[in-house]
Amino acid sequence: MFLNSVILILQEILEAALLVSVLLVLSKHHGIKPIWLLPAIIIGVTGALIFAINMAQISEWFDYVGQEVMNAFMQLAILFFLSFLTALHPKNRWVSIFMLITTSLALTREGSEIFIYIGGVIGQAPYIQSTHIQPTLTGAGIGAGIGVSVGVLIYYGLLGLSSRYIVASSVLLLALVGGNMASQATLLLTQADWLPYSQILWNSSALLPENSIFGHLLYALVGYEATPSLFQVISYVCGILLVYLCWCFNLSRIDHQAKYKSPDINVHINI
Amino acid sequence: MALSLVLFGSHAAFAATPVIKIKIQDHLFFPEIIEIPAYTKVKLLINNLDPTAEEFESYELNREKIISGNRKAIIFIGPLPPGEYPFFGEFYPKTAQGKVVVVEQ
Repeated sequence: MFLNSVILILQEILEAALLVSVLLVLSKHHGIKPIWLLPAIIIGVTGALIFAINMAQISEWFDYVGQEVMNAFMQLAILFFLSFLTALHPKNRWVSIFMLITTSLALTREGSEIFIYIGGVIGQAPYIQSTHIQPTLTGAGIGAGIGVSVGVLIYYGLLGLSSRYIVASSVLLLALVGGNMASQATLLLTQADWLPYSQILWNSSALLPENSIFGHLLYALVGYEATPSLFQVISYVCGILLVYLCWCFNLSRIDHQAKYKSPDINVHINI
Repeated sequence: MALSLVLFGSHAAFAATPVIKIKIQDHLFFPEIIEIPAYTKVKLLINNLDPTAEEFESYELNREKIISGNRKAIIFIGPLPPGEYPFFGEFYPKTAQGKVVVVEQ
């Protein structure tokens, strides 16, 4: 129970930790106060609790595929809000709001699974020996600790880069998160039979199995799949491109403004 | 005429999706081994009889879904080539284990 708990919680926390660290780096780099973080955590944890408590009902929506549809919807929402905030000028006040929404959605998704797992083990107390509860909670604490530590490492790692690489590296990581969200949403909608089946493109499970430690890490961070389908790969690439193109749009606008020394950042420019 | 044939054809294909029933009890899958035809989409109807949630997970099938305690869930798998595709309950992986065996008909 102990190791299982560590891996399960770590995987959930890592996905959210990567996103939050990168958004915090962008906030710091652009001088945006990270006032969005606390409300995002409160909304995200509350959302996760509500999602977890109602999971049984939600799962029965849309002819028993509500869980897939709701998760895919949240993942696509994360992708779009990430793209919006990358496309905006860093000083635009909507950037903080989109950071808040993205983080809340990520925490809701990841947190609900943790609550269901832990809630299940604790709720089982009358049926099993309580000896299972202690290792599960200890494992969860350690998993969460490692996950948050990796997030802190990513944060300081990015901030340690020279100034010109900080934004580029952050956007690259956000693009990978975006690709991961698109690919996972596609997988869930295929599982729900809302999207048609597409062939498996390759099998790298001999090279890097998904159930290895490194496989788990890569799955959580960049959505590694050993046997991805054609539609998953296409959506992964589209997700990356969407975030990247939004950033390019932003760059071209900032360059344009710098060239013409426009004092008003919100001025409408015809490119 | 052609349209009605197409419609009828797709309806027939939809109606033909085989349903396989699996139950979860005491953190075990029953049956543990499921045989399905090759290159056919199959609907797994999983009934969790335990009071606790379980997560159906399979790396080989690329599937992951939480099934709440005392609830049912549906997971679509396939079409798949012949082979063995293990699955397990992520919340209780030591006991909850099984596999889908895809056979050529």
